[in-house]
Amino acid sequence: MNTDRDIIRRSRDRPAEFAALYDRHASVIYRYAARRAGDFVADDVTSETFLVAFECLDSFDERREDARPWLFGIATNLLRRHHRAEARLLKAAARSAPREAGADSTEGIAAQVDAAAAMAKLAKCLKAMPAIDRDTLLLYAWADLSYEGIADAMGVPVGTVRSRLNRARRILRTGLGPEPLDETENEHGRLAAAPRDA
Amino acid sequence: MDDLQLLRGMRSDVGSAPQATLARGRKQLLSRIDAGTGGGMPDGGSRRRRTVTRRVLLASAAAAVLVGGIVVADVVAPAGKPGATAEAAEVLNNAAAAAIKASDPVVKPGQYLKVDTRAVYSHQVSRSNGTTVAWLATQDSQLYVPADKSGEWVWNRTPRVPTTFFGQEAKAEYQNQEAFREKNPDPREPRLDGIFRGRAGAFYDSPPQIMGTPLLEAIRTLPRDPRKLLDLIYEKNGDKGQTPESQALTTIADSLRTGVIPADLRAAMYKAAALIPGVVVADKQATLDGRKGIALGIHWAEGKIRQDIIIDPGTGLMIGERMVSLAALDGIPANTAFGWTAVKTSVVDSAP
Repeated sequence: MNTDRDIIRRSRDRPAEFAALYDRHASVIYRYAARRAGDFVADDVTSETFLVAFECLDSFDERREDARPWLFGIATNLLRRHHRAEARLLKAAARSAPREAGADSTEGIAAQVDAAAAMAKLAKCLKAMPAIDRDTLLLYAWADLSYEGIADAMGVPVGTVRSRLNRARRILRTGLGPEPLDETENEHGRLAAAPRDA
Repeated sequence: MDDLQLLRGMRSDVGSAPQATLARGRKQLLSRIDAGTGGGMPDGGSRRRRTVTRRVLLASAAAAVLVGGIVVADVVAPAGKPGATAEAAEVLNNAAAAAIKASDPVVKPGQYLKVDTRAVYSHQVSRSNGTTVAWLATQDSQLYVPADKSGEWVWNRTPRVPTTFFGQEAKAEYQNQEAFREKNPDPREPRLDGIFRGRAGAFYDSPPQIMGTPLLEAIRTLPRDPRKLLDLIYEKNGDKGQTPESQALTTIADSLRTGVIPADLRAAMYKAAALIPGVVVADKQATLDGRKGIALGIHWAEGKIRQDIIIDPGTGLMIGERMVSLAALDGIPANTAFGWTAVKTSVVDSAP
């Protein structure tokens, strides 16, 4: 067995073993950070995440085998320092929208235009939502953590993760309207009518 | 396409890390390792671990979402008299004596210690218009601990149901959330009810813990000397959001509400609580889940919150623990037990 936990345990006595954790997870941390705040920030956040992790080995919960929630939690904290870079990216993405899918779009490019418009709306929603909700949502959608993993990463109970995710997703769906996004279009009006802040 | 699929597609064209970048990061890490630095960050992960501990505890009750403040001066014991007030210390020391006298029920091979728990959680939702709404939800569970504690434990948790809404808006918010979840089922959402099984109580991937130590090991090894036990509690808690004193009583409450703490350790915990400055008799006639006992509490968050443990003075058993608001707190009215756990133990012949 060579779980993350094993590596961390061994590295208490033989610190050099810790490099194995870097080899295993540095690339996913990098990609997560790059998606959120760009390559330049990702460079910094990735190396810093592992330095911080190494310096607070005790903060790793030994009941866990997987170190990813712990590492993503550290990376998410570090990303806070770079919120301006993230905001710039989201702002640019929100602006890059072509005009709303207009009447002049031909059939062929209409879908692309729609997709780009949706991305712009997504970026706008992400930018507007509270940081804790954005962190929760992106740990879920981009870091692919489970609810428990996010709870560990953010140091909150699972129930809190659940309500933050619900809230964030409702902000997205409200912002993505009015086009129906799934099969249950007849219900869509109900959701859009729900309070944005709920 | 739903919102999550769209989101997963967003910026998915971001490339993977350049090898040179990864190599540079690795080199930095190795040179730090070589330098042999090992000091923790000031706020480290201790706080995080604490939250996790609280969450994973067998019958974790209301995890308070509030950040503690400084205890107000008038609830601190008078100078020169360390520890709880004389009245509280007497109750606790008597309970310790009763706990030792009324020995634990004997669980024979094939039987189980059954721990019935009713836990009330508070849900607080803050909204962008600046208001916070809150409600309480109740969840019952039964934990079956085999005579051989290293064997398979069984945990039956019934669904969590809302029991108190603080206002119509809270109810509407809850209904909104439920409607949303029904419409948007999430395969990754963990199951919170049903029957769970785990060797030595490891219902998830690891055994339950108290004070950062696996439960069974903690029961074996925690000091029975009250002063040593309390010092260890302070040390393990480190610098947490609450005051060290209120945090210490919360740790004792967290430990006792597992329902599996043997009489000698229970007695040591009561005596340790008697040494905590600021612990007072909060209510001589406290009722929790229909049972009466004495509530011992400590204030924190500038006196706005009190953590109680409620003890049956006759048997020395802990009836439960609760968190009480003494002022209105983000959607929760004043003088409300906004999170509590009631615990009952018995010996049974079978488990589900």
